[in-house]
Amino acid sequence: MYSWRRMRERLFKITVFGVAILALTPLFHLIIVVFINGLPTILEAGLEFIVDLPPTPLSQKLGGIAPSLVGTFLMTLISLPITIVLGLFTAILVTEFPKSRFSIVVDTVAKSLSSVPTIAVSMAVFSLVVVLVNTIPELRAFLNPAGSALTGSLALVIIALPFSYTYFSTFLRSVPATYKEAAYSIGMSRWAVIVRVVIPVVKKSILVAVLMTMARIMGETAALFFTAGRYRNGVPTSITGPVDAVPLLIFDYILSPFEVWHKVAWGATLILLLFYMLIFSVVKIVVKEVKLV
Amino acid sequence: MPKSKRDKLFFTSLIPFSISLLSMLLLLVIILLFNSIESLSAYGLSLFTRTVWDPENGVYGVLGPILGTIITSLISVSVSLVLSLSLAITIAEYLKGYLKKIVSSIVEFMGGLPTIVYAVWASKYLVPFLKNNIMEPLHASLPFIPLFSCRPITGFSTFAAGVALGISTVPYVASIILEAYENIPLIYREACYGIGATKYEAIKTLLSLAKPAIIAALILGFARSLGETTIVAVTIGNSMTLTPCLFAPGYTVSALVASQFANAFLYQHAESVLYVSMLVTTLISIILSLYASKLIIDWRSRVVV
Repeated sequence: MYSWRRMRERLFKITVFGVAILALTPLFHLIIVVFINGLPTILEAGLEFIVDLPPTPLSQKLGGIAPSLVGTFLMTLISLPITIVLGLFTAILVTEFPKSRFSIVVDTVAKSLSSVPTIAVSMAVFSLVVVLVNTIPELRAFLNPAGSALTGSLALVIIALPFSYTYFSTFLRSVPATYKEAAYSIGMSRWAVIVRVVIPVVKKSILVAVLMTMARIMGETAALFFTAGRYRNGVPTSITGPVDAVPLLIFDYILSPFEVWHKVAWGATLILLLFYMLIFSVVKIVVKEVKLV
Repeated sequence: MPKSKRDKLFFTSLIPFSISLLSMLLLLVIILLFNSIESLSAYGLSLFTRTVWDPENGVYGVLGPILGTIITSLISVSVSLVLSLSLAITIAEYLKGYLKKIVSSIVEFMGGLPTIVYAVWASKYLVPFLKNNIMEPLHASLPFIPLFSCRPITGFSTFAAGVALGISTVPYVASIILEAYENIPLIYREACYGIGATKYEAIKTLLSLAKPAIIAALILGFARSLGETTIVAVTIGNSMTLTPCLFAPGYTVSALVASQFANAFLYQHAESVLYVSMLVTTLISIILSLYASKLIIDWRSRVVV
């Protein structure tokens, strides 16, 4: 009896460990193969990989992904600040007045919005732009129905907003109530407490939320399908014209039948992965320094 | 509503920011609905009972993609249940100190990894691997089971898409399970060990206590899989046929939209049909995730207090 229980204990531990390792294996394999396939592309193309245009399907030269990099950069630049401001202030409202009916509605809406498929957002934003341009022709100068950095950014904000909101509200809730009570007791107003007590306490956590939101925006693919425009013939010069994004380029090229495009896709995937690794390491270094009571 | 005057001012000054969230969801649903009306009035319910995509003759039916979406999500949830449950138990029960931190960070890293990276990996490595090591042996040994009845030709199939999705949702499901599991009050654990339970027996008891939260995590994983596009679009093989066999190429709603939406404006009703199928997916996804988060909240107030 006793030995059976002990054996079962062992068996269970081995199984759980084995499956847990199995669950992590894809990640390690993925990182290794992205390096194996992406590194040769980048080494072969050299610096041109980040400054040159993508190759034609039958070209001998590898070219580069400059239009996509600039497009991703532009759209991140536009959508990140908007997302952060909207997400942070919404989170402040909900965490300061958790019992208000309005806050409960906002919280539920954020949960719903985060479960909307990203491609649905892409379709809806596309349709919105078409309707807007058709009813008010003057808008055509700003919103290109064929896609633009602005339109793409709008889709990205809708995707990233519930994400950043969840991060912010988690961090804001983690501020010990005693801190706030102490501040109120010396007669500070609500705004003063937020600005001078709450925000300083969670300063670094906010940085983490900003970085993770940025990673989310940079890596988003489906939201840009019908909103960005896939412009790859040159580096975009305006935010009202069509642009490309790194994930979009990878998606299109990996599905194509051309060998040279597959190579470029691997190189672009490596660049995206490296960017993500960089952001994640910064996050980890910042988190290490965060000491909440 | 807050009571004091200054609080009220503070509250109202923040409202515009939150309205943005509300209006986005409202606008999204209205646009999807608005674009759906055209084809719903043209085809009615026959849209959901057939599997056809024939823009030249204007005949459509999205039963196949909708079933495909549900089946891939079911496979995805089963895969991620096994993997993430073990992962969560390992992190919570067997790892300590530095190692625990590292493994938790790895899971976090996986969770934030852009899906396109998973998609590239899955289409180039996972699909051939599954074809050679799982699909072909299953087909060879059990061809009389309808699920395995067809020969996996390219490997790009409903099954491959489901497994790829499952792997990508592991960190998401695992983190929800882990959070719930670690929130179980210590007294339950102490009670288990107090009556002489072994670790396995204690884990079993604690897991049964966390069951509603685990179910909620699975529902959330399912809802997320429903709408996932990139990974599915490159692994499912894009085919508009309805077959019980998991090894044949298929379609999910999002993969259908990804491949057809760009040209849909050329044909009457085609765009609207895509909007309808996406509306259905979106609504299912929203309802499921709201239900699951309610499950978690209820569970927390009952067990964690």
